[in-house]
Amino acid sequence: MVNTICKAGLCLSGLLGLLAPTLVAQESIAVQGGRILTMAGPAIEDGTVLIRNGKIAAVGADVKIPIDARVIDATGKVVMPGFVEAHSAAAMSRSNETNPVVPYLSVLDTIDPMRSYFEDARRNGVTTVAVVPANRTMIGGQSAVIKTAGTFIDAMILRRDAGIKVSLEPQGNSSRMGHLAALRHQLDEAKKALTETEKTKEGAEDDASEKALQVALQRLIKGEIPAILYCDGAMDVGPALKLVKDYGLKPILVLGRDCYKAADQIAEAGLPVILDANLVFWETDPRTGEDRKIVVTEAFRKAGVPFTFQVDGSNTNLGTSYLWYQAATAVKYGLPRDEALAALTIGSARILGVDRFVGSLEPGKEGDLVILTGEPLEVQTWVDTTIVRGEVVYERANDRQLQRLLDDSGQ
Amino acid sequence: MKRRTVKPSALALLAALLLGAAHAQETVLYKASRVEPITGPTLSPGQVLVVDGKIRAIGSRIQAPSGAQVVDLGDGTLMPGLVDAYNDAGLAGGTNEVTREITPGFQAARVIDWKDRRFREALSQGTTSLAISPGTENVVSGLSCVVKTAGRSAESRRVGESTALLISLCSDPTRRNSSRARPDSIYVRQPTNRMGVVWMLRSTFDQVRRGEEIESGEWLASALSGERPMFAVSRTMHDLSTLLTLSEEFELSPVAVGGQEAYQLADRLAAAKVPVVLERLTSHQLQGAERTELVWNLAGRLAKAGVQVSLSGGQLLEQARFAYRFGLSAEEALRAITLTPARTLRLDDRVGSLAVGRDADMLALDGDPLEFTTAIRWVMVNGKIYENQKGDSRGEYDL
Repeated sequence: MVNTICKAGLCLSGLLGLLAPTLVAQESIAVQGGRILTMAGPAIEDGTVLIRNGKIAAVGADVKIPIDARVIDATGKVVMPGFVEAHSAAAMSRSNETNPVVPYLSVLDTIDPMRSYFEDARRNGVTTVAVVPANRTMIGGQSAVIKTAGTFIDAMILRRDAGIKVSLEPQGNSSRMGHLAALRHQLDEAKKALTETEKTKEGAEDDASEKALQVALQRLIKGEIPAILYCDGAMDVGPALKLVKDYGLKPILVLGRDCYKAADQIAEAGLPVILDANLVFWETDPRTGEDRKIVVTEAFRKAGVPFTFQVDGSNTNLGTSYLWYQAATAVKYGLPRDEALAALTIGSARILGVDRFVGSLEPGKEGDLVILTGEPLEVQTWVDTTIVRGEVVYERANDRQLQRLLDDSGQ
Repeated sequence: MKRRTVKPSALALLAALLLGAAHAQETVLYKASRVEPITGPTLSPGQVLVVDGKIRAIGSRIQAPSGAQVVDLGDGTLMPGLVDAYNDAGLAGGTNEVTREITPGFQAARVIDWKDRRFREALSQGTTSLAISPGTENVVSGLSCVVKTAGRSAESRRVGESTALLISLCSDPTRRNSSRARPDSIYVRQPTNRMGVVWMLRSTFDQVRRGEEIESGEWLASALSGERPMFAVSRTMHDLSTLLTLSEEFELSPVAVGGQEAYQLADRLAAAKVPVVLERLTSHQLQGAERTELVWNLAGRLAKAGVQVSLSGGQLLEQARFAYRFGLSAEEALRAITLTPARTLRLDDRVGSLAVGRDADMLALDGDPLEFTTAIRWVMVNGKIYENQKGDSRGEYDL
């Protein structure tokens, strides 16, 4: 909560009233007095995070607060980096493309910053999200890592070419054989075209859209843009890893819940993964009828595979639509608390290749943080304030929708 | 969370006296740093003495009788097994009757699939007693029965045979009754609108009250007289309002099931002493076919008005955690998944609390029951410990 607005800052903005909008963006914010979980070293009690020009300027126990800084009192609260959601199509107005091969499309053309997804994200501490097409397109569009606050998508982008979605799950009447053959064919064509382009130093195709397709696929096989590989079942993991090897892809693995059976194989490949939203489910042995409870997080933890969470595709169950709840569930089943918090922040930032910018509270990184009313993952802990690029984008005290949902007194 | 704690009670002495004769039986003393009896304040530490599947003593200074096994849960918490008052786990072969509207004699107890995986899922989530209820697409749909989620035999799992009569005050019974079929088809049935649902209920009630013969009318009569609980599925404000009108008219004491908009008439429900069994809480969209309004703190608002509120439909502990997060008090949140549903089903003499003489149905938890990160260590049904939540089985699952 904002307790003090520095008098000097007030005078300044008063004098330069017309320039106020520019000043806001450049304002310094000092979050003071909270317990700071930096995700890059031990917790700092009663510390300060100073954000200037949208970037973190200093973090520590004795940070000098500039006179023009807006001070936010976080005494008794917990300050941590904004959560990084590694895989979501919820921001897209439509999450799957009908055409199976569309690597040249960009999610940036379909993100609607007004969707209620963004409000929910800020309310639940998510400050950065990788918008990735859903799993039903063979070679889907290009993903982007964006901020969860803003009204114009161009101003929200953190990383434009965050990956091209490649799904190993066959769609419609296609079999896995046909699906994989088609996928390989596309990559082979791109490889061939790439060799020819290098020989002739000019585009092999004249058709503009064909060229766009080739350019996108060539970037994929040159490793310039990651391949976000969706494996529906454990049997898809092997072929996915083979694609990575054969075509030199830079992989980000997104797994369906049954992929827990391939945990050891993934561990051997040394890859981190984005888990399915269903972290706990039951299986019945088709022969004996024996029921077995599967805890996906434990399977990967025991195999030594780093992972992060997603909420896409979670049903309407309570909880699983919140990223923090997924982390709490993992802790319940045995994941150490600090690892769960890391998975929500720096862990997912690493998987997305944006850990230079977000995921921890360190000088130079983007000024994203959440102030929590108490220890993270606890039942009565709420996001008090969310800051994105140095701007307060959510305050619980002013969240009228939340107030209405919790205590509808306006009947 | 703060709770009062009780000093050692006289129960310890009583237990010691009672136990003289119990040596030959299976006697186990469970000790934990916290025990939630629900019927009374938190005991910390607390002990529960279980003899042959029943709770023989509970207190904070109970000594193990000689020959008793002692299980020390250390910093764990013990609480009663959870009670789900409205669920359809184990209901085999369809839940709605499509050829008739009024089927009061249809009994869930006759068609239980004891091996349904949902029992085991419920057990692993802490539910030990569950009311299996017929569907909502009949005006009078039949009788629920209450079973344990695990046990040595089907017989040992039955708790209530024809526990409550289910009626529907929502628009569900009209769902499939369009005029698609030929007029002489058996699939043409009333009602096709909600007015018809209410009319059909009222006229059926009238018939029974006048002593007219209707098929299986005795079940309806017993629910009308209050001898057996009447569970009325009613979700919207007008459903609930109709329920209150009917209860006044026919002097009923029904239970409202669903209750998504119950907060709008919380005071009237409290005044009429109508308990509400909430269907599974949700947090992110308007609910169900009837697009009932969304209020996260539904349970909290009802409890505050003095309504007896139960949570139902699976995942009870998670629901209680969210209800607590959204505004229900901690104490009420635990009651809403234990004692209140047990009372609503009129089975609180057997389940829903840790008290002398109750079935030994307990949960052992790693910590505070209402924290998202607290795991269930094991679940006990009738004195026997079943698997824990982390997946490594303790004790086989019999049925």
